[in-house]
Amino acid sequence: MDFNFDEFLTWVGEDFDTLMMLIWILPVIIFVFYGQRIQLLISSNEIKKDIEKLDEYTASTKKDFLNYVTNNLTSKTDPSKRLDSFFDYFTIMPVDMDPNGIISKINHLIRSREDFIRLQINGMFSNLSSVELSKIQNLLEIVTTLQLFYKHTRHLYLTAKKQKNFPLILPLQMMIPFIMEEAVALKDAMPAIKKGQPIGDSIGPMIVGQMMLKTTKESAAFETVWSKTTFEDRELFLLKAEGPNATVGRPGDGFEKIISSKKPDLVIMIDAALKLEGEDSASIAKGFGAAIGGIGTERFKIEDIATKNNIPILALVVKQSIHEAITLMTDDIANKANTVRDELYQMIRENTVSGQTILVIGVGNTIGVSQ
Amino acid sequence: MSKSNNKLTTCYTYLECNSCKISKKRKFVDGDVVFFCPENCLDCEGKMLITKIFGVTMD
Repeated sequence: MDFNFDEFLTWVGEDFDTLMMLIWILPVIIFVFYGQRIQLLISSNEIKKDIEKLDEYTASTKKDFLNYVTNNLTSKTDPSKRLDSFFDYFTIMPVDMDPNGIISKINHLIRSREDFIRLQINGMFSNLSSVELSKIQNLLEIVTTLQLFYKHTRHLYLTAKKQKNFPLILPLQMMIPFIMEEAVALKDAMPAIKKGQPIGDSIGPMIVGQMMLKTTKESAAFETVWSKTTFEDRELFLLKAEGPNATVGRPGDGFEKIISSKKPDLVIMIDAALKLEGEDSASIAKGFGAAIGGIGTERFKIEDIATKNNIPILALVVKQSIHEAITLMTDDIANKANTVRDELYQMIRENTVSGQTILVIGVGNTIGVSQ
Repeated sequence: MSKSNNKLTTCYTYLECNSCKISKKRKFVDGDVVFFCPENCLDCEGKMLITKIFGVTMD
């Protein structure tokens, strides 16, 4: 049968609604059967771009780290191969079906890992100073974390694609902006760590470090120092990580040592805190409780000692974004040091009386900040 | 100097004289550490204390 175009046009003209219905129903049918796949395709394309960026960040930081080690440290053998094996190290967290006693298990695990890495790095290079060693540990942590981000996001992405499972990609789609924010911050943290410059998180140690000048410093715990001073007829105990190492020290152990000699009447913790969206950077906030981040073991220890000895804990924090917290300290944050110190003295005046003892802890990474 | 997303960050060191309190800002040099005294004051020969090290970002 020959197709007559004129006849077809005449038919369309007579029954235009039928044609329109056909045109509209086709996409509906396509979306009913293939909607999820189309969504998966669009979402996965965006995620793929981010995964490529993560791969790029991992490769560039790894190269940067190895270049730094080769150019600045002396080693008997080529350290690249051994360092390369560190990038893939993993940590198996303790079983939490019975959470009783899990904190001490996590503490043991983290400390063992730190000690192992420290020992390995120390054995690899000759004449390694404590500052350089701590910098290497921090740089290694950055590369390892970026590699972990890359591997995990790629795993979730490939699993969803392999199984053509759209719901599986949804959690990744929700999480990827936060992962990318942290990844960019980690990548940008490299130059400051390499040069030993203070980062946003160093604001706590910077404030306490200034108060420690011209006092006699003693070791309180591993990579942690403390000293005594006075303020308006009150005794102040000052505690911070030992600078200018790139370390957060062990404030929990330091507190334990201090309390064995004299019990303070009040503990004030100064730290950097992540700002909420809409909050100003470098704004100051006061509150209650132990202001300390990390995996939670140090906070647990401080809270435990304070509870057993009935010591109130107050907190003074300087708000900042994740990027500001781990990259070179901004002028705005550095300028807040004097204001926070004034707030601290005001807090001491308001919450204690003459003759009492106050423990002030400067929490954070003390890279580039002495005391 | 570090570069990220076309943003250039320059690191500065801020020093203050312990005696005459004169202050100065210069570019960061390796070995600068907050609360170290890397140089003497040109005016009074007192010690210049590093009070802050910070970055300034330009687009």
